[in-house]
Amino acid sequence: MKMPVTLNINNTTWNLDIDANATLLEVLRNNVLNQQSVHRSCEEGECGACTVLMDGKPVNSCLVMAASAQGSTIITSEGLMRGDELHPLMKAFVDELGLQCGFCTPGMVMSAYALINQWEDEELSDMDIRKAIEGNLCRCTGYVNIVNSIRRAKQAKDAGNWW
Amino acid sequence: MKNFVGSRALPDLVYHCPENMNALMALFDTIQGEYKIVAGCTDFIPAVRGGRWSFNDGLSLIDIKKIDELNFIKETDGIVTIGAVTPLSTIMSSDIVQKHAPGLCHAMSTMASPQVRNVGTMGGNIAMSSPAGDTVPSLLALGASVIIKGKQEEKKVALDQFFTGPGKNIMASNEVLKAIEFPALKADESVHFQKIGTRDAVIISIVSAASFLKVENGVCKAARIALGSVAPTPIRVPKAEAFLKNKPATREVLAQCAELVAREISPITDLRASADYRRDLSETLSRRTLMACLDDLNP
Ligand SMILES: Cc1cc2nc3c(=O)[nH]c(=O)nc-3n(C[C@H](O)[C@H](O)[C@H](O)COP(=O)(O)OP(=O)(O)OC[C@H]3O[C@@H](n4cnc5c(N)ncnc54)[C@H](O)[C@@H]3O)c2cc1C
Ligand code: FES
Ligand code: FES
Repeated sequence: MKMPVTLNINNTTWNLDIDANATLLEVLRNNVLNQQSVHRSCEEGECGACTVLMDGKPVNSCLVMAASAQGSTIITSEGLMRGDELHPLMKAFVDELGLQCGFCTPGMVMSAYALINQWEDEELSDMDIRKAIEGNLCRCTGYVNIVNSIRRAKQAKDAGNWW
Repeated sequence: MKNFVGSRALPDLVYHCPENMNALMALFDTIQGEYKIVAGCTDFIPAVRGGRWSFNDGLSLIDIKKIDELNFIKETDGIVTIGAVTPLSTIMSSDIVQKHAPGLCHAMSTMASPQVRNVGTMGGNIAMSSPAGDTVPSLLALGASVIIKGKQEEKKVALDQFFTGPGKNIMASNEVLKAIEFPALKADESVHFQKIGTRDAVIISIVSAASFLKVENGVCKAARIALGSVAPTPIRVPKAEAFLKNKPATREVLAQCAELVAREISPITDLRASADYRRDLSETLSRRTLMACLDDLNP
């Protein structure tokens, strides 16, 4: 069954005709929206590679039926870029070597972005960071550099370098 | 899109999204063929992808997440009520639940991942009726009831009467879990939850336990102990609970009670753990959660 949905993706509103059995992951990756940062891996919510923000909260796009996302606002890693410029959070991942193969990175970045955006206390502990990325698997880095990247990104935000 | 080896495509779907309870009840009358209620879909999608559920002739999906009457948290006259489709993360961070049942918030914080908790619901966790459902032991310990709505009537059932087997419960297919309610904890009462899995995050429990303790003047006035993953459904252990009644609230007595818990259950060996290990863990987790309650009440 085909059905219409309206989604706001990275600040653009789309009226789409989707398959009723499509997940949000499939719709975001299809050739209309082409959000290739949304990685498709386990499709069971285990790995977090498909993480996007839905109405400001990180969700596994593989576990959301696209139909049920009707009317929501989605942000993917592409949406954090300003033109060709990397977001300060992405720069922190580069500077701290927070990625190797990079497969987990877009999802990791979205979990970290949600964490830092809603973090009002000054101190962000390594445990807070690890709790926030517990739904994102990385097979390469061993997580230490990822935690360092997120800590550095928080400092960037505190210094006013954030959007 | 082509599916990976071992991962099944979702069936052809007709998608329904009733906006209120009346529309949902009307839908039950008119809907044709096989249908399934879903809320967060965090159990539904993996069950289909993994081949545990299959629908060869297509499926109608009834998404109840947009029904506002099912999405709320309130406390009135000492009773906390939580709508079935309220996301786990909303419950965890709610002032009402943190104040009146902190043990339940802790249980949810051990579940899945932030991403899953942002969409997964407590109603879904209960309706799945998995022996390992992590919200259930704390709710049993809190003495919770579920409110079930059918076409004709709405009924309230004690949660310990709800489960009938792994993945099975007393609800008919044209009934919906509307809300969960439990008495707010009083000053002389406490609930604690602990689980053990092979790691801390995104893991299914090998054993989980929750305890409720009410202590007046150093005497245990009431106790409820509930366990997950040690029987076909989440269970309470009435003999061990009865043992505590009117006994002095001391660490020795609580440790004796935990030994009784291990004797009262008959867990099985499966790919996650042996029966013996589960029995040991049940004693340990019962003891730890009971003692944590005691520590709360005897600061
Ligand atoms: C990666 C991952 C990790 C997980 N970790 C845990 C964990 O640690 N502990 C744990 O307990 N669970 C875990 N889960 C399972 C799942 O997230 C929870 O059980 C969740 O609470 C299910 O809620 P839902 O709304 O997503 O359910 P859905 O998938 O929407 O529904 C599940 C079932 O319940 C029925 N149902 C749902 N709501 C109602 C209702 N109101 N009335 C009648 N029937 C209803 C549906 O028909 C369906 O059969 C995990 C899942 C994933 C994907
Ligand atoms: S692809 Fe969605 S969590 Fe792995
Ligand atoms: S960098 Fe390879 S999976 Fe994380």
